[in-house]
Amino acid sequence: MKKLLILSIISILFLSFFAGCSKSSSSTNGKDVVELKFFHRWPNQPKKQYFEKAVKEFEKAHPNIKIKTEAVLNDSYKEKIRVVLGSSTPPDVYFSWSGEFAYNFARQGQSLDLTNYVNEDKAWSDQIIASQFNAFTLDGKIYGIPWSTDGKAFFYNKKIFKDLNLEVPTTWSKLLDVSKKVKAAGLTPITFGSKAPWTISHYIGTLNQLMVPQEVIDKDYDPKNPEGDFSHPGYVKALEKFMELKPYFNKGVNSVDHEYSRELFNSGKAAIGFFQLAEIGLIEPSLKEDLGVFNVPGVEGGEGNANSITAAPEGIMISSKTKHPKEAMEFVKFLTSKEKGTEQLKEVSEYSAVKGTTTEANASKLQQEAINLIVNAEQTYLWFDTAVDIKIVDAYLNGTQLMLDGKKSPEDVMKDVRAAAKEVKASAK
Amino acid sequence: MQNTNKWLPYLYIAPCLIFLALFVYYPIVENFFYSFYDFSAFSVEKTFVGFENFLNLFKDEVFYIALKNNLWYALISIIFQVFGGLILAAILEDKLIRLVSGLFRTVFFLPVVISMTVIALLFTFVYNPDIGILNGLLNMLGLENLTRAWLGESETAIFAVIAVSQWQSIGYIMMLFIVAIQNIPQELYEAADIDGAGKIRKFFSITVPQVKEMFFVTTLITLTGAFTVFNEPYILTGGGPGNSSEVLGTLLYHSAFGKDQMGYASAVATVILIITLIVSLVQLKVFKTGKDV
Repeated sequence: MKKLLILSIISILFLSFFAGCSKSSSSTNGKDVVELKFFHRWPNQPKKQYFEKAVKEFEKAHPNIKIKTEAVLNDSYKEKIRVVLGSSTPPDVYFSWSGEFAYNFARQGQSLDLTNYVNEDKAWSDQIIASQFNAFTLDGKIYGIPWSTDGKAFFYNKKIFKDLNLEVPTTWSKLLDVSKKVKAAGLTPITFGSKAPWTISHYIGTLNQLMVPQEVIDKDYDPKNPEGDFSHPGYVKALEKFMELKPYFNKGVNSVDHEYSRELFNSGKAAIGFFQLAEIGLIEPSLKEDLGVFNVPGVEGGEGNANSITAAPEGIMISSKTKHPKEAMEFVKFLTSKEKGTEQLKEVSEYSAVKGTTTEANASKLQQEAINLIVNAEQTYLWFDTAVDIKIVDAYLNGTQLMLDGKKSPEDVMKDVRAAAKEVKASAK
Repeated sequence: MQNTNKWLPYLYIAPCLIFLALFVYYPIVENFFYSFYDFSAFSVEKTFVGFENFLNLFKDEVFYIALKNNLWYALISIIFQVFGGLILAAILEDKLIRLVSGLFRTVFFLPVVISMTVIALLFTFVYNPDIGILNGLLNMLGLENLTRAWLGESETAIFAVIAVSQWQSIGYIMMLFIVAIQNIPQELYEAADIDGAGKIRKFFSITVPQVKEMFFVTTLITLTGAFTVFNEPYILTGGGPGNSSEVLGTLLYHSAFGKDQMGYASAVATVILIITLIVSLVQLKVFKTGKDV
């Protein structure tokens, strides 16, 4: 009798434990409430709050849809999104960088083809800057809706420039001259942090486009084109040009991160920094009218297009496994509407990919000036770390970190890159 | 009553066993099989590649860098944590400073209870080349030529990381030794006193042999810890610059979630498992634990 009692108690305990595990997920599914999972990469303020607010507004307007948000930051997002998309319950709506990063999801069949939705609702989709769709289009199909757009440029401290009688450099050698004078004055010429090495990749991407002809870049960056082998001498030169800046960086760049370099610039101790235009919103409050922006100057003898800029959209994609594509699309449309786009710049300083959202009403003079850098550039290039295959990026970043540390020469780095490219292109066939 | 309940003991340990099997042993076995496949996180199919992942791993120079760094980790941890911890414990248990030893114990033990993430972030400030306290201290002492970007140079990065671990873990090992020393019968020391033995003699002839069992435990903890370390290098350097401070743990992580080579990462995990197994087997043999106390 006793034995039976013990057995039954144990089995009840056991069962209730397992029951407790599985129960939570099903109960929220009310009558016809659709639950969407939304995964983005901003667990930090102010964007976290911006999305929370947006989700609330959307839920109010669509009482039949409930949205569950999850967010992890940058580098972790890159890793986690791959894992969750591979799971059986991927997020329905998720953020993605453009270019190779997004194509990878499309090729693996993880993202829904949105071409029809875009074509059906012209009133909405025509509001978005058409060129921004390119970075989400693979083989003629659109896989992502551009949400924001951003570019990379040199920011400078106008006060330091004025005090030292410096002019905004228009060529690479003038940039070096300026840096030399700032250094002589005892300030940090260029602030930089490469502990998280994606910051290096933005320099490399930009310098590559200045040093290497467009056709060669297209061939080399394409993971499926076996002819692109990164053998153009411009790549080595681009790295050499990058190394010319090294004496003007703050000390020990490999041991400090990007946020630290931004703070250094914010504190007025550095003359120049290489930042994203979206970061104006984070820097302008400290430097005020002393903040200026200029595009990366052309390099003498460079074979690329000098009137170009590294600028790319970030977008929203929908999982191919979603059970509610219509509702998910509804949410994406809401986030990429003109109304939201206008709010977006003001509240989280991200330029919307929707036309006419950067105006005097919601942007500072500098922000309007900055967006013109993108609009006026003849050519835009994607972020390097999302434009090429991850294995090539990896070879580049590990190599350049060691190059900054004096352990590798530009030629050594390119040797590793070529080997990685060979491997990538061999496996793509 | 007794023989009717033959199965009852097993029933009691069943939950524990089931969970162990489900969450520890099953993944280990599964991981072992994964290491023979080539697949990415969201690929539908896995391609069987036999031993290719392992062959590539043994050809990969990063693997040897990581292994070397783990060996440094192990060596330095044994010297500082196990030997250093024992000496610290012996000093704190000495009659001379027994009165204040409570304070020191707390001071040394405090880092153990702080989260590793917090400590690592704290030390990124300590090591900062411009505003860091370490370089500041060296400047104050007139040792400017020793200042450097500790985490940013490939020669010093891994050692700067290892130093943080020593700082954190020595208190834990010390605590274990203190417990062991307190269990030594006082008569032994009294007898030694009568024989006229000095403090150092007593340490080597009584304390060291008496804490042998704890020695085994602490070396096992530090060695397996040294080969499975992940948090410290991941937060402090991310394996960089280049791959110079990569350890097996970060190599596994980067292969799996950075480069999306899940099979390769499984192979790394299998190698780590084999290494830690060998380490503990060797120790079991050397210390012959459990046979005498």
